[in-house]
Amino acid sequence: MREAVHVEKPWFSASIWEWIFTTDHKKIGIMYGVTSTLFFILAGLMALGMRLELFSPGAQYLKPETYNYFLTVHGTVILLWWAIGVWASFANFLIPLMIGARDVAFPRLNALGYWMFFAASVIALITLFPGNQIMTMWTGYPPLAAKEGVGFAGTTALFVFIWHLTGFASIAGAVNFITTVIRMRQPGIGFFNLNLFIHGVIAANVIQLLGVPSVAGAVTMLFLDTYLNTSFFDPTKGGDPLLYQNLFWFYSHPAVYVMVLPAFGIISEIVSAFARKPIFGYKSMVLAIWAIAVVGFTVWTHHMFVSGIPDWVKILMSYTTLLIAVPTGIKIFNWVATLYRAAIVYRTPMLYALGAILMFLIGGLTGIPLGLPAFDIAVHDSYFVVGHFHYVLGMAVTLSAFGGFFYWWPKVTGRMYSETLGKTSFWLVLIGSNLLYFPQLIIGLMGMPRRYYDYPAIPEWVTLHQIQTYGAFILAFGLFIAIVALIKGALTGEKAGPNPWNSNSLEWRIPSPPPPHNFDRPPKVEENYCPHKYRK
Amino acid sequence: MEVLARPYDLWEGIYKIWLIITIIIYAVVAIPALYFMIRYRYKPGDREVGDQEHEGHWGLEALWTIIPLIIVLYLATHGFAVFTQMRKPPENALELKVTAFSWGWMFQYPNGKVVVASAIRDTEDKKCRPEECYGVDGVFQQYVYIPAGVPIKVLLTSQDVIHSFYVQPAGVTQDAVPGRTTYTWFQINKPGEYWVFCREYCGQWHSRMFAKLKVVPKEEFERWLRGELADSGHESGKGAVANINAEAQEVVR
Ligand code: HEM
Ligand SMILES: [Cu+2]
Ligand SMILES: [Cu+2]
Repeated sequence: MREAVHVEKPWFSASIWEWIFTTDHKKIGIMYGVTSTLFFILAGLMALGMRLELFSPGAQYLKPETYNYFLTVHGTVILLWWAIGVWASFANFLIPLMIGARDVAFPRLNALGYWMFFAASVIALITLFPGNQIMTMWTGYPPLAAKEGVGFAGTTALFVFIWHLTGFASIAGAVNFITTVIRMRQPGIGFFNLNLFIHGVIAANVIQLLGVPSVAGAVTMLFLDTYLNTSFFDPTKGGDPLLYQNLFWFYSHPAVYVMVLPAFGIISEIVSAFARKPIFGYKSMVLAIWAIAVVGFTVWTHHMFVSGIPDWVKILMSYTTLLIAVPTGIKIFNWVATLYRAAIVYRTPMLYALGAILMFLIGGLTGIPLGLPAFDIAVHDSYFVVGHFHYVLGMAVTLSAFGGFFYWWPKVTGRMYSETLGKTSFWLVLIGSNLLYFPQLIIGLMGMPRRYYDYPAIPEWVTLHQIQTYGAFILAFGLFIAIVALIKGALTGEKAGPNPWNSNSLEWRIPSPPPPHNFDRPPKVEENYCPHKYRK
Repeated sequence: MEVLARPYDLWEGIYKIWLIITIIIYAVVAIPALYFMIRYRYKPGDREVGDQEHEGHWGLEALWTIIPLIIVLYLATHGFAVFTQMRKPPENALELKVTAFSWGWMFQYPNGKVVVASAIRDTEDKKCRPEECYGVDGVFQQYVYIPAGVPIKVLLTSQDVIHSFYVQPAGVTQDAVPGRTTYTWFQINKPGEYWVFCREYCGQWHSRMFAKLKVVPKEEFERWLRGELADSGHESGKGAVANINAEAQEVVR
């Protein structure tokens, strides 16, 4: 039998065969990255389709069921493949390098996880064929989601399988990364000098491990209700639709921290590297990450403030929801303090990270009122919510992911991207995003409901929708430039040294791209090792 | 001065508090951040490395833990108080039973009078023009008469999937859940036409699931309720919505 971590050639000269059967964390990381990015593009194209439809009131190009299909895929894919899936790419490639290991703890399980993710991808593509569309929205609330057909849910089974397969991949990844970080660190790397990116990812993975079973149970019951006539959620037979919502959000609220904690980690890595300075308040950063992960499990009913749950539950979870703002605020203040007395080098990753911080602040501040039932009652399920989560996901998470791509590109490919293209892409993305997302907040305060294929011709609404559509295309153009910059860099960029950013973290102490076994000898870390420091 | 609608007046209060706090916090973070970004740039030969000793400061970190903590506790507690007020329908409220269905609303008045507002859908061969899609045509859509200045308590349920009842001027949203009865209340003081939208995704024609409230002076409303107005809505629209009507009434009973 072959050794699980048998790798001979560096990743870029591997054959197709090796890609398919590989258990190398670097190759698996790259496969996650490519899959996530392709699906991000698919979800983005569908969003552009929706934006064209919404450019004017009345039916334009799409049928309502097509709009609903696009929206379901946009939501499901961008959350599960991009906002969650892309971190599997970073985690796979970087965690072993950052802790000085040769691979992850369970390389075969890791490969299995990726191929489950791949299977989910195939199912997502199957929905493109006529007759297989899903129109459940990413939340899949019954009784609607249990009614198959064009008017309602489309093909419920595919929606359920997508959750099952991505959930399997998540749990496999979680078991693997948690074990890897607990067991395979080099001596001298402990809880309080791990990379903040690792803290973010591991906190996210602990959430996955505890939360995914809840949503998996919910969609399984949905499947049974739809096809086998059970009645978990069917009130006409004694079931309760709100049970689904509780089970769903018990996972899916914490899931937003699965999306954002690794992004926080990446922001910390980038900011301290380009400020050429240790991160400010490292310990409080770590505690904040873990506090968010724990308290995150106690707030889920803020998604159900108008669903008919008792008022006292709303008040209770209003307090817990707002409490999360405190550790989140700590992180933002620490980033800003890191800039004080720094020597900031403005390269593309730094622009993306600083943009992510200032935009995340808008996302966070617009999230606070949604945690107050008294405020939420007027904007629940409106475009205000859409604006809020696009600031968090479409900006903070997406800008961090692209910042991370640019930051580690020299490590992964051994070549530099073009700085001009990189910076141009940042400014286009920032301007486009704000033109797209800020009007969502305003039109939401005016009352525009979310998930609408059409809207009445109220003049202000029409204008605000048109600005959004222009913004969407500027944003899409910016992302296109970013991807061109990366691909061009990988093919023809200048050769990069092992440590172009002068970071002290372990992944920058080996050649770029990393050799097949990462470290020829176990890397010894110096006493008082801290990954977030300046290194000549 | 009389407010346009309740409990929107309460909502506006908390909205303003939030907006002010938000702008202040944004400024408190963004202004120093932008200042540092400009002031502490890398300068060859002068500022090549950041201050390696500047790693943390207990006092500062405690400060930016405690002050936000106080702010959020204040907001949650104030929100609690406002919400309690918002949820309490006035004693003299008129009770309106609303049943949501895919895709429309059925309104039932205390004297048994029924008004239906159902979505105007496009068909394969005919798309409605924008002003028609959200117009009151007397067939699919009827005006929902509401007396001005009178609090209305709405008892909500749904006949099929989950919908959500949103009264735009009053700023209240409440889900209509099959198998449950939920409630909300509102009051509109100025006569005019106002929107009701469905706010929970409910399938194909979710976006056209609206109703038009026609708020009229109390006497006029009473005459309408007794069927003395020309546009009484009682007789009209029977054809297209008779079935829905019958089904929906089943559920309400
Ligand atoms: C090209 C950029 C994007 C455009 C044009 C766009 C546009 C839209 C539109 C039009 C909607 C539907 C609003 C509605 O009808 O309620 C939507 C929903 C959504 N978007 Fe985006 N978006 C973009 C990027 C993103 C990104 C990067 C993320 C997350 C990382 C994201 C996450 C979501 C989610 C979760 C929903 C809600 C889906 C649902 O309601 O079920 N979007 N977006
Ligand atoms: Cu949530
Ligand atoms: Cu609806």
